Amino acid sequence: MNTAENAYQMYIDLIDSTIISYNGPFDAQVLSVIAENIEYSLSNNPRVSKKLFKIFIELAQNISYYSAERQKNDEGNLYGVGILMLREFKDHYSFSTGNLIEKKHILPVIQKCETINILDRQKLRQYKRKLRNMPSGVPGGGNIGLVQVALTADYPLEYSVVPVDDENSFYILNVRVNKN
Amino acid sequence: MENLEIEGSHKNFFIPTVSFNAKTGICEISGESFLEDTVEFYKQIVEWLERYIDEVKGPIAFIVKLSYFNTSTSRSLLDILNLLKDYEDEGGEVVVNWHFDENDVDMEEDIDDYIIDTGLDINKIPY
Repeated sequence: MNTAENAYQMYIDLIDSTIISYNGPFDAQVLSVIAENIEYSLSNNPRVSKKLFKIFIELAQNISYYSAERQKNDEGNLYGVGILMLREFKDHYSFSTGNLIEKKHILPVIQKCETINILDRQKLRQYKRKLRNMPSGVPGGGNIGLVQVALTADYPLEYSVVPVDDENSFYILNVRVNKN
Repeated sequence: MENLEIEGSHKNFFIPTVSFNAKTGICEISGESFLEDTVEFYKQIVEWLERYIDEVKGPIAFIVKLSYFNTSTSRSLLDILNLLKDYEDEGGEVVVNWHFDENDVDMEEDIDDYIIDTGLDINKIPY
């Protein structure tokens, strides 16, 4: 295949697999519309639908609170901006999110992801309980959203951080959920 | 003392239905919990319970029928359960009944984690 055909195939694959894609501020209205879409698109599989819904809420709230790029919604409130995609593959669904993150927050976020990925389920539950007993609101600190995401997905977190400029990087997170 | 009644809704945010009875001590929370300001919402519940413990000093049956709650809510639920455990330790009569969908393995784990965390005897009631 030449480059044009490759690009076309990529386009077709993306269109075919994508259930939801969004780019913009994560305010209450957006959360509500996407949450409804998830429930509707997966109404034939309530167990997985619930898992995806739970994961979505935590991922979206993380973007809303912690994205370094912020934008006013119609009501004038500031919300974090990011991208989110939900795609369907043969045996799993995949959530991908991306948002800008300040350089100083990269290390705590990576450490959090690494910690989550080396723990087995029992240890992860212990970690969640430990964090829940700590004060919240510190990036990479007491926030248990990501731990809950890993517990719900039952898969390691896939993440990467791409440098953007002197102040910010782009933080990408991918979460898989098996269909069965 | 007044009862605490909050009508639940499932719109932009999910507000749980709250029905706390000051005469019987039966305090039920049901529905789903995903709120714009979780701390503010649960503050009124904790304050009601503190007043009940202080003034009425009666038994409390805390009935949980939440089919979904986010992680912010899970912190507030821990605050409530810790308050009930303190009351029990001081001689108060406390029963906690937690109803959950028997297919919801994650929810059952959540309840188990609350039992470990608080030391309360929580009755798990599958439906």
